[in-house]
Amino acid sequence: MISLIQTLILGVLVGAVYALLASGLTLIFGVMRVINLAHGAFAILAAFLTYTLWSWLGLDPLLSIPIVTVAMFAVGWVVYQLAIRHVRGRHVSMTVLLTFGISLVLEGVMGFVWGNTSHSVRTDYTDASVQLGPFFLPEAQLIVAIVAVVVIGLLYLVLQRTWAGRAIRAASSNESGALLVGVSVSSVAALTFAIGTATLGAGGAMISVIYPFLPGSHDQWIARLLAIVVLGGLGSLPGAIVGALVIGVGEMLATSYIGASWPVAVPFLVIFVVLVLRPQGLMGTRLREDAVA
Amino acid sequence: MRFTSALRGVATVAALATVGLGLAACTPDAPSGDGDGPIVIGTSLPLTGDFSEGGTNTQQGYEVWKAITNENGGLLGRQVDFKVYDDASDQNTVVSDYTQLIGQDGVDLVLGSQSSLLNIPASAIAEREGYLFICPSCGSGDMYNRGFTKIFFSQQSVAANQAKLFAEWIAALPEDERPATAAYPSLDDPFAGPVVDGAEAILSAAGVETVYKDVYPADTKNFDSIVAAVRDSGAEMVVQGAQFEDGVNFLRSMNRAGYQPDILFQSSSPTYGDQYLDGVGQENTEGVFFAASYTTQAATPGNEEFIAKYKELYDGAEPPEDAADGYAAAQVLQAAVEAVGSIDDQDALADWLHANSVDTILGTLSWNEDGSPKGDFLIGQWQGGVAQIVLPADVATSDEILRWRGGAL
Repeated sequence: MISLIQTLILGVLVGAVYALLASGLTLIFGVMRVINLAHGAFAILAAFLTYTLWSWLGLDPLLSIPIVTVAMFAVGWVVYQLAIRHVRGRHVSMTVLLTFGISLVLEGVMGFVWGNTSHSVRTDYTDASVQLGPFFLPEAQLIVAIVAVVVIGLLYLVLQRTWAGRAIRAASSNESGALLVGVSVSSVAALTFAIGTATLGAGGAMISVIYPFLPGSHDQWIARLLAIVVLGGLGSLPGAIVGALVIGVGEMLATSYIGASWPVAVPFLVIFVVLVLRPQGLMGTRLREDAVA
Repeated sequence: MRFTSALRGVATVAALATVGLGLAACTPDAPSGDGDGPIVIGTSLPLTGDFSEGGTNTQQGYEVWKAITNENGGLLGRQVDFKVYDDASDQNTVVSDYTQLIGQDGVDLVLGSQSSLLNIPASAIAEREGYLFICPSCGSGDMYNRGFTKIFFSQQSVAANQAKLFAEWIAALPEDERPATAAYPSLDDPFAGPVVDGAEAILSAAGVETVYKDVYPADTKNFDSIVAAVRDSGAEMVVQGAQFEDGVNFLRSMNRAGYQPDILFQSSSPTYGDQYLDGVGQENTEGVFFAASYTTQAATPGNEEFIAKYKELYDGAEPPEDAADGYAAAQVLQAAVEAVGSIDDQDALADWLHANSVDTILGTLSWNEDGSPKGDFLIGQWQGGVAQIVLPADVATSDEILRWRGGAL
């Protein structure tokens, strides 16, 4: 029983990391119908920016989150204006190919700037854990869970309580209708992409603490993140959170009770089963194609 | 109608001409053979992707060798040059790269890629095309069971024997000092797995009980549950088959879980020098065992020159093991070419290597019929932030052998 509870604790904490990283990805798809394969590369870029602030200025990754978030917002805005806006609304294959290309360009740029060697940010809490009776809770992942709650909470507030958020939701549910009521859909799309990328300011900062990373690490993340947003329901922020927790717990349970070689396979099996029974994902919404303008 | 027919004819001729020109462009450049131009050595390396760490370091070793060789008059009186492709750590890409290098680019010689995963398919291309294939890192047993005659591994030992001296030393400890139980987590990799299996065979025969053994895939990021399982097994020793990131992540997870066995062996990650130090923190490296092909302190022929040139080219940094392995591979190639006196007869180069030994910065290397090396790896241990050699005793740079995180063993 102790082993099971420990596994569940670790799974929830891993799921928090995934939720933080997946929130921006599902937001981008939900509003723009863009499958952003560069999302993992943006996360690694944020990790490198965090590493640079830490190694040059000694800035703790937690304190660098606001700086990196602003930087990633700017990166997202620029990338959207230069590339994404030209293929928005086109066939999904174009956005997939374009964002895949962007991920490779980012990888090359990161390799040129920082080199293709592994980097790590080491802090007092990198290897520390909180002991609660027989259970250990990794401190870094506990912090991620708190950061995830804050970031996703802020994102929710923005979407629900601000005019920009209402515009984003309007454009997400009916682009033509949003246009008719005066929402600048193109500006909303740019804002959404930038916000989605900006959430990686926190996610990337925490990656830099928890895992070593190099420019090519992005491909290990994007597959997992895509699986999470599909499981949760494309475009559903609560779904991404639930999906992340399901995947995180699933991986840990698979490792502990089936074998260390199963954590990759079992979550995808779960996704397969869920999508067969519920194609829109756990919390997605079924839409008629002709209702989506 | 007549105009359309003429147009069609012109288009057909143009298409045929285009195809012809394309075929001509595809014709392999004639190799330079015993000409006057530079000797071109082709290689594909993982300069990006999961293995970019080792690939970049291996390329540095090749470049250092090229610089020194050209300064000393080149190879057979000709300057040497490299044609390098990035296989992005992908098996399919490395196959097409070597096909391109040999079939299209017509390079004179080839050197291997980095990692058994890439060299297994790459060597198949070289063998099919009749090229000598010396690989700096291909310790997997799967390299040497295919009946190939022109492959050579330029390190001291294959993967299954790389932890041999370490396991034999542990097995020889008095029973009350020898760990009673061991855990063997390993990366799913053709190199890492055999290292662990080889160690387990020796230790099991000595009575060390295996209480945990499992394989994790390459994209495993979180090791907390694996470490929790290892900790719960009660293992007094951990022998991990690791590449780099997985070794760092595993050690970090051990700290988080408060798990500190007396003996920790990791197959490759501790050989990454400063990157390993930065990744796990110096205090956590203390006492970590590893198998090593190279030490900067070795009094082997050319080692001082190699270190000096490496520092000159790479901002004063100490050469990592993969760079030394790359340099040694090039040394082996050089020895064969100079002994045979030609680059044209790949069979003669291979025959010479089968019959002779080569002095390299890793020591004297010689090979079995299948191209696998004869010899034993060095066993290292991090002590005081320095990677020391502890076994075999006659080349040890430290008299101490420590527990993990300090204290005499």
